[in-house]
Amino acid sequence: MIKSQRINVFQHVPFLRGILKSRLFQPVLTLTTLFFFTLAIVTGLFGTPVGNRNFGIVFVWIVWWGLLIILLVPFLGRLWCAACPIPVPGEWLQRRGIINRRQGRLSTLRWKFPKRLRNMWLQNFGFLGIAIFSAIILTRPEVSAWLLLGFSLIGIVLSILYENRVFCRYVCPVGGFIGLYSLMAPIEVRVADPQVCATHTPKDCIIGNEYAYGCPWMVFPGTLERNTYCGMCMECIKACPKNNVVINLRPVGSDLMVAKERRLDEAYKAFIMLACALLYSAVLLGPWGWLKQWANMDTLPHWLIYAGVFLLANLLLLPGLFTLTALLSRRWGGVQVPLRQLVTDYAYTLVPLGLTAWIAFSFSLVFTNGSYAFGVLSDPFGWGWNLFGTTESAWTPFGSSLIPFLQTGILTAGMLFAVNTAYKIAGQHTPNPRQALRGMLPVAGFITSITFVFLWLYLG
Amino acid sequence: MKRELLAIGIVVLILFGLPVGAFIYQRQQTSSDSTKRVIIIQATVPEAGGFQPSAIKVNAGETVTLRFSSMDVTHGIAIGPGLGIDLGHVDPGHVKEVTVTFDKAGTYTFYCNTWCSPDHWRMRGIVEVTDPDNPDAIPIAYHDPIIERLVAEGVNIDANVTMGMADHPQPDVLTFDQPPSIEKGNILAATLSIPEELSDAEWRLTHTPMEGLELLADKNPSNSMNDLIHVIAYLWVSDTRFEAIQWAENYFNQNCAACHGQTGDGNGPAANQTAESPVAFGDAAYMFGMRSDVLYAKIRRGGMGTDMPNFGTLLTPEETLKLVSYLWQLAFLAPNSGIE
Repeated sequence: MIKSQRINVFQHVPFLRGILKSRLFQPVLTLTTLFFFTLAIVTGLFGTPVGNRNFGIVFVWIVWWGLLIILLVPFLGRLWCAACPIPVPGEWLQRRGIINRRQGRLSTLRWKFPKRLRNMWLQNFGFLGIAIFSAIILTRPEVSAWLLLGFSLIGIVLSILYENRVFCRYVCPVGGFIGLYSLMAPIEVRVADPQVCATHTPKDCIIGNEYAYGCPWMVFPGTLERNTYCGMCMECIKACPKNNVVINLRPVGSDLMVAKERRLDEAYKAFIMLACALLYSAVLLGPWGWLKQWANMDTLPHWLIYAGVFLLANLLLLPGLFTLTALLSRRWGGVQVPLRQLVTDYAYTLVPLGLTAWIAFSFSLVFTNGSYAFGVLSDPFGWGWNLFGTTESAWTPFGSSLIPFLQTGILTAGMLFAVNTAYKIAGQHTPNPRQALRGMLPVAGFITSITFVFLWLYLG
Repeated sequence: MKRELLAIGIVVLILFGLPVGAFIYQRQQTSSDSTKRVIIIQATVPEAGGFQPSAIKVNAGETVTLRFSSMDVTHGIAIGPGLGIDLGHVDPGHVKEVTVTFDKAGTYTFYCNTWCSPDHWRMRGIVEVTDPDNPDAIPIAYHDPIIERLVAEGVNIDANVTMGMADHPQPDVLTFDQPPSIEKGNILAATLSIPEELSDAEWRLTHTPMEGLELLADKNPSNSMNDLIHVIAYLWVSDTRFEAIQWAENYFNQNCAACHGQTGDGNGPAANQTAESPVAFGDAAYMFGMRSDVLYAKIRRGGMGTDMPNFGTLLTPEETLKLVSYLWQLAFLAPNSGIE
């Protein structure tokens, strides 16, 4: 039934397959982003330390972030990962080339990435590690530049040690939440007919062929059911001799119902992202100046308290509250599902809620501060240049009166979607609709409460 | 293979060409015209280093562009003395510049004139202008006749109330039953016999209003002390030009009000951060025991141990006298002098 809800884009836009099959597709994207990435690092290191006048801060944390969370992830899933400049130097070293398919194995030391780390935990802790410094990273160009440079260097080192995109798959703190939230995207890379893959033994999409590399993300498209670990690099489309890999349009959030691949590490990613959205909203958009100062490390003790509370909220408080909710759900629903599974399953209801919360947060960030982009476009270093005549363009918040409505709308939509998802997930635990309804009620209560906290933070 | 090489070329261009290109462009921007040197000065709060660089060497007659950029908070940039250069606010990350030709050898000061931090007053840098024909020449020390006269007279410039003039005790009249009124003084002056000294600006410069009041009282014994105070208040501001007051008010608000208060009440936003409480120029009783030349000297030299910075390197003597005139305006017009 679900498959029938897919629309094969290649059937309606045939030339798209040709574009995606071209080996130029990804390099065009990555070379473009590499330009801006390099500029962000150089301006961060050598430009003005004033964040809102430095390209590195404005374009990374306002423009890129806004594009990513408001447009790219919700509509195009992990497509950003195909364009991301961070891992490409490492990948080019592995491939000893940028565009062409060079025959032979990848140039790496071929170490085996530890099995215990083949999950999202590194990404979870990496994200938290960065998040506690976020008030500093988001405002200090030099720190931001070193962070980006550090990501790239880690990507290179991992590419030397391990085959494929180990950095993207298991380490990148951004990739973790993009993967999780791409479950919501109305687009997917999938095989048109899994039977074709099952009977096609060479598995070009895994080992590669003369046209393409084997999947850098280490997934087998033939059994792919979720977007989480598909980097949309389109190598499988190039590799497939059967033209069986396609781009589908699909209902929003389809992947949330794929029960068999739900995992606790991903559930924790959902907790962390939701808690971070709440805390960021309070710190960066809230009226508490002291909180902002603490996050900004005005004194070390203040920051330590802030970081401690931040980590507690992410790792214990929100997951703890959610576990209590799941316990209540099990009792009310009368289902015999292990608590760990119940918590993990229901955590996926926080994906739509978390994504919409981040979008709501980003509306405020981007609309209020987006106009800084005009100034730094003409004067990326803050050195007094005026390349396009926009250096002195004044800071002009856009759509201030509109933001609360947009935030309310998107949060409400997220809440309703999350509640509906909770009901569907409850239905996976029991065939009895009344039991499912009773079981989802505590989760719905949790979702609604969190939504009201966001609305309170945004609307006052 | 061609496109692979092209891609590698693009990568090299991005990774190396972009930063190198940016620095070359910046270099061109700052030295595109060999006859006009561009000097970049980064402004940070004094606690973080102040101006970088804080000392610049320029040849007399050389035209230079001084490009100031604020690296942290809003600063105000001015250059003195006597150049009349005030770039106004420079917001964080913004850049403002001025192209100037320093005609004469000497030392000039660029300084922040917007309260930027508790140590704001330390935020200064110097432009050392040397004579290209005689670069080792030491500039002749500037003689200030007003200050030299005070020193010769033995006046303790650093003393506070009444400037050490213990032989002029403040009489009861300074309780001011009525606050000094310039308007009333203007009307009354025509009806009184004004001693010659009081009409002499030079005499008023070197004497206190209190001394003037004693002279006036001797000549006009039948008039009430309140009336005489009004007349003294009028006389002390009588030959002040409107333009001078306008300039001085602006300068005071930019550079002095943070400590002394915009109305001269001595209670500006930074008043509690100074070593000693800032003087309240709006206190007419205090000012009746003060001399213009002492105010002038205090402004130019600064107050030892009080956190009052020196303005002698920022202002010309004429500009300093304008500022002194404005202090009398504050004394006799400010709200706490009781005049509405």
